[in-house]
Amino acid sequence: MKHLPKHLQPRWRYLAVAIETWPDADLDRRGLQRAVWYATRNLLGDTDSAAADMTVLRFNHDDGLGHAIVRVRRGHTGPARAALACLDSVDDTPVGIRVIGTSGTVCACEEKYIRGPAKGPERRQVVFENRDRDAVARDGRVDVRTDDGFVGATDLDI
Amino acid sequence: MYEAVHVRPDGPSTLARQARTAADYGYDGIVVRNHGDEGSPDDIETVKERVDVDVVDGIEVRADDPSQASGLVGNYRSKRTVVVVHGGDRAINRFAVETPAVDVLAHPMAGDGDFNHVLANAAADNGVRVEFALHPVVHDSGGSRVRRLRGLRKLRELVDDADAPYVVSADPQSHLAFRAPRELAALGETIGFDATDVHTGLAEWGRLAARNRDRLGDSYVEPGVRLDES
Repeated sequence: MKHLPKHLQPRWRYLAVAIETWPDADLDRRGLQRAVWYATRNLLGDTDSAAADMTVLRFNHDDGLGHAIVRVRRGHTGPARAALACLDSVDDTPVGIRVIGTSGTVCACEEKYIRGPAKGPERRQVVFENRDRDAVARDGRVDVRTDDGFVGATDLDI
Repeated sequence: MYEAVHVRPDGPSTLARQARTAADYGYDGIVVRNHGDEGSPDDIETVKERVDVDVVDGIEVRADDPSQASGLVGNYRSKRTVVVVHGGDRAINRFAVETPAVDVLAHPMAGDGDFNHVLANAAADNGVRVEFALHPVVHDSGGSRVRRLRGLRKLRELVDDADAPYVVSADPQSHLAFRAPRELAALGETIGFDATDVHTGLAEWGRLAARNRDRLGDSYVEPGVRLDES
């Protein structure tokens, strides 16, 4: 179909979103997109979720850390932030979500808020609560595997 | 702005991890609100010195009836900076708002809890902060979220009318459940609060901690009376 004239094209804002999970979580763009749609529709309803029209454009997630760029119609970033706050899991995997910034173009959003691939995690043995355990460490954050699942710790706890 | 959090052993994240996450998310501090029967971290002072945010030692007293709650509040009042009562039961809600030694009544509308204008006026008179709990708004969905939103709306109207003090918290049980202040403000606006209400409620934890630290200091005698240290 022919392109719309410039003044009729929708105006978008791009939200840079930081994603954090436990290190064994496996997320993909489709799962996140589905979760964004569900969260938006559940919180805002059909009409406002259609108006916000949130789409996950870029997605990257590896070993517990990731980021995404979520496109939203200009003027709807407030409700979009609220919907993202209510996104607490993707395919039953708990996720921590934080909007780190908004931009008017994808390029600006990537350059300003998303800094290249995150430094790889370091797998090591740590002593946590008086026992040797497997852990995944990155940038001072240490996720320790225990009998009851992962525990979120830092270098200060080891 | 401060967030009131649960830390290990009352959640899967340690105090240091919650403090670090709070710093990343733009908070000035955290209040530890572990349930009294779940245990508290023993490294609050150590962590406080080594992280970029303030760490406030608090407790969330959970009791079956008002007399047990009264004993626990009396026990912890002189030991902890912030004393929160785990609400959600009509008798406990009433006990909390009628007790000036209580700092915060947490999630009064949870479970079969309820609130009315008499309790709101008592909270205003006794300076007990009523918590607007955003945790179920963030983590629930469907009918249970609708019920909790209905409760929050009722609570907001009563607190507004009585001009009672309030706090706001998303009550994160782990570092993954943290939400940034701007997200909580946007969420608050979506469900009928002003964005400033949410920011005020988050900042109130910090004001409360500063006031109570002053009161627990050696020079404090009673409001308006303090020992001259010179």
